[in-house]
Amino acid sequence: MSENKLSSNGKYALELQDLHCFYGNFRAVKDVNLKIERQKITAFIGPSGCGKSTVLRSLNRMNDLIPGAYVKGKILYHGRNLYDAAVDPVEVRRRIGMVFQKPNPFPKSIYENVAWGARINGFKGNMDDLVEQSLRQAALWDEVKDKLQQSGLGLSGGQQQRLCIARAIAVKPDIILMDEPCSALDPIATLKIEDLMRELVQNYTIVIVTHNMQQAARASDYTAYYLMDRTDRAGSLVEYGPTQELFTNPKDKRTEDYITGRFG
Amino acid sequence: MSVETKPAQPGSYPEDKDLARFIQFRNFNATFWRVVFISSLVISLIALLALLYNVVNEAFGLTAVENQIEPETLVLRLQEADMLEVAVLSSEDDNDLAAGISGNPNAIGFFGYAYYKANQDKLQALMVNGIAPSAETAESGEYPIARPLFIYSSPQIMNKKPQVAEFINYYLTHVNDEIDDVGYFAATTASLDSAKATWLKAQNQTGAALPAVNPAAVEGKVLVAGSSTVFPLTDRLATRFTEAGYSGEITVDNIGTTGGLRQFCVEGKADIANASRAINTLERAACRGKGLEVAEFRVGTDALVVVVSRENTFLKNVTVEQLQKIFTEAKNWSDVDPSWPNTPIERYIPGADSGTLDFFTETIYGGVELASLPKDDLVEIIATTQDPQGKKLLVSKGKLRQLENEQLFYEDKFLTLDPDKHAQECAGAEPPARCSLPARDQENVYALVQEFVVAPKVVATWPLVDSLLKREAIVAEAAEKFPNAEVEFRSWITPDFVRKPQASDPALAGVRTAILGSLWTIAITILVAFPIGVGAAIYLEEYATGTANPLLRRINTIIQTNINNLAGVPSIIYGILGLAIFVRLFEPFTSGAALGAAADPTTANGRTIISAGLTLALLILPVIIINAQEAIRAVPLSLRQAGMALGATKWQTIWAHVLPNAIPGILTGTILAVSRAMGETAPLVVVGASTFITIDPDGIFSKFTTLPIQIYQWTARPQAEFRNIAAAAIVVLLILLLSMNALAIILRNRYSRRLS
Repeated sequence: MSENKLSSNGKYALELQDLHCFYGNFRAVKDVNLKIERQKITAFIGPSGCGKSTVLRSLNRMNDLIPGAYVKGKILYHGRNLYDAAVDPVEVRRRIGMVFQKPNPFPKSIYENVAWGARINGFKGNMDDLVEQSLRQAALWDEVKDKLQQSGLGLSGGQQQRLCIARAIAVKPDIILMDEPCSALDPIATLKIEDLMRELVQNYTIVIVTHNMQQAARASDYTAYYLMDRTDRAGSLVEYGPTQELFTNPKDKRTEDYITGRFG
Repeated sequence: MSVETKPAQPGSYPEDKDLARFIQFRNFNATFWRVVFISSLVISLIALLALLYNVVNEAFGLTAVENQIEPETLVLRLQEADMLEVAVLSSEDDNDLAAGISGNPNAIGFFGYAYYKANQDKLQALMVNGIAPSAETAESGEYPIARPLFIYSSPQIMNKKPQVAEFINYYLTHVNDEIDDVGYFAATTASLDSAKATWLKAQNQTGAALPAVNPAAVEGKVLVAGSSTVFPLTDRLATRFTEAGYSGEITVDNIGTTGGLRQFCVEGKADIANASRAINTLERAACRGKGLEVAEFRVGTDALVVVVSRENTFLKNVTVEQLQKIFTEAKNWSDVDPSWPNTPIERYIPGADSGTLDFFTETIYGGVELASLPKDDLVEIIATTQDPQGKKLLVSKGKLRQLENEQLFYEDKFLTLDPDKHAQECAGAEPPARCSLPARDQENVYALVQEFVVAPKVVATWPLVDSLLKREAIVAEAAEKFPNAEVEFRSWITPDFVRKPQASDPALAGVRTAILGSLWTIAITILVAFPIGVGAAIYLEEYATGTANPLLRRINTIIQTNINNLAGVPSIIYGILGLAIFVRLFEPFTSGAALGAAADPTTANGRTIISAGLTLALLILPVIIINAQEAIRAVPLSLRQAGMALGATKWQTIWAHVLPNAIPGILTGTILAVSRAMGETAPLVVVGASTFITIDPDGIFSKFTTLPIQIYQWTARPQAEFRNIAAAAIVVLLILLLSMNALAIILRNRYSRRLS
């Protein structure tokens, strides 16, 4: 898949059409239809087991790594289905980066953490500049510029998570997926990441899964609320809309129960 | 969905007394298991120590070594032969010598002091090293050509047999009446007094003087044996003792000092030993082992006098070094000292059978080491030395020819070979190795003398602990069983043991061939098993698990189960497999014949290093796979996800993140597996390791042996010494294993440190 096939300037970064996610015979998510807007932060919220992480992981085909996982339906990225047979999942992940729940820097130097992704993707420019630029974008440069050769594991949890973000943006993705990126962090580090997200959204589309409704309310532009169906235990999308609207004036009773804390 | 909370019912948890008992039980339980674990540790430590104890106990210890011929004897024989060759006259009759020397200014000779005294008018005695011969200088040892005369007995014998005590009393009282006649120096008053004191102490008597002797009062036998030098003296005193009224029988045997002490200490056949040297510590220990304390009586001193005629004006004093030259290599007096006249030396020496010649040679040439003799002398020793019975040559003509065939003794002369034939052969199409080799040097010839003439043989060995704790008993036992052997402490692990190839004589055998064989084999094993094993583990962990296809999953499960089972298959089964496949089926390749690389095309077969290495590789492959799988599985999934999420392919992720993090664990497993392979014996026996091979392996198509095979083969031998070298080889194997492991661990740790 070449560059121009994937880049066009539509309003939506991703379009999910009738998406069903399966683990073997078990349908974990059913019938999700969703359009994720470009250069906005979209938050997935919902109680445990509602399938929001599954949907997120299917967006860059990380679920392929789980034996037996597959999807039905379409995820359109620049008008192309990510699950087309001709699409290389490796290339998809380069375009759609991911930051995980627990900070997972490589057990290598800070510099190498950022440079490795670029190198394996054939980056030909000035590596030092790329590392500095990525670390600056991740608001980490000032803290680590004197110890780039030290191990990434020596940083604090919040710094490690920002290093992971720097690592993700070093390969110049379109979209960054964040799977509960602040759940392992203290409130101050959490706020820093949220500030960072607001910075990054000027250049990137961000999709974030969070358990923290304040975080969704504070940081996101759009919010999608998922809930597990009691009958077949499959998660489904209940309500999706601009964050402001969803939190102040939910259309669905179940959404209202959840965001007012009456449920769960 | 709220949890119902009820107040705890009374009696659901133990309280008060029950609680105390419950806690007590729980603590007892914890203590019990802790003791169990500590005991397991202690038991394994004890097992390890027991193993080390066993090995070390065998690898060091006392040995009794018997030489075919003592090196000193060889040196003396050679010197005596040289002396006899250049002597003007060699005679058993000292009068002939005295007559020859007198009136001849160029003559020199030596004999006992008595003969000098009888001819004092015609002869003059020389000072040696500036010391004139006299009773005092001879006894103190200042005068070098002197030896002490002793008789030995023991308080135990003297108490049991009063006739022995009585004879010694008589001996000490009357020895000075006879000693001048026999031709020796009398003992000084002081040493005679000390001998008398020893007698009194042995008899538990006090006082300064010996009690009066009454030979008629005692009866029974007195057995005396020993030195031929002391013999005439003791013999005279025995005769006088009998004449003085002793009714019993007294025998004096002339069997040499060592023989006499042996009969006295070890065999219990002699009551008194005549000796012309002091008893040594080994003999003393042997005596103690028989419950005999040694009582020593100095009875006189034998000294040889170097004489020249009264007409000789230039010689008053000589040194031992000058004597060495005078009696052998020098031709004229001026060769020894330029200030002496340029006239030929005329030597008059006692005959070859006389003890006097032996004594003189021992004293003058005694310090000369066999190893320091010139090559010519050593070659002569090889070519002429006969066995102790004088029946045959120690190195037969045939053997000598064989040695010369291997390598010449001299560039320009031949001992056994026909010079023309040699030249012819060397000019031929296939010249033998000797044509290009230089002639044997002194060191080489000395090694031959050691191997074929001196031929030290280990006749008995004792383990380390016994050697340390029961040294005296061992020495006594050795003196009894192996009279000609020398007991010495020996470490079986020596640099030579590591350097030398296998040999049929355990004292000469080494493990070089086996070490090289082990290293070659293990190199093949690692080169094959490591990449294949790690590759298989990567596939099983990273690729096989990713599939959702039920058929594939089933196949992978079967493969996995089989690998686990293979790890438990007895190693000999792998040996049979290796024999069938590598040795037989792939013989053209494993013998190197198909590649034109066979070590010896005529005998090429598959019993080579490569077959052994491949067999061992098969053996440890499952272990490496399983360990590598564990290590790969232990790499956190989050690292793989992180890599993949950056757009890396599976292989890029594995190479950059999974393997570097798994490699310490993989190496640990590999180290264990390779250590096991290093110590394997059974499969290699089946594959066909050579049990006796002296040629170093020089490639993967060589025949080979390995350390464990060597150890196994040695332990199976009946002779005890092979157990010792087997233990030594075990120590070598352990050291080899430990150093290989240490190296691997250092590499691994350095690698891990770089990662974190």
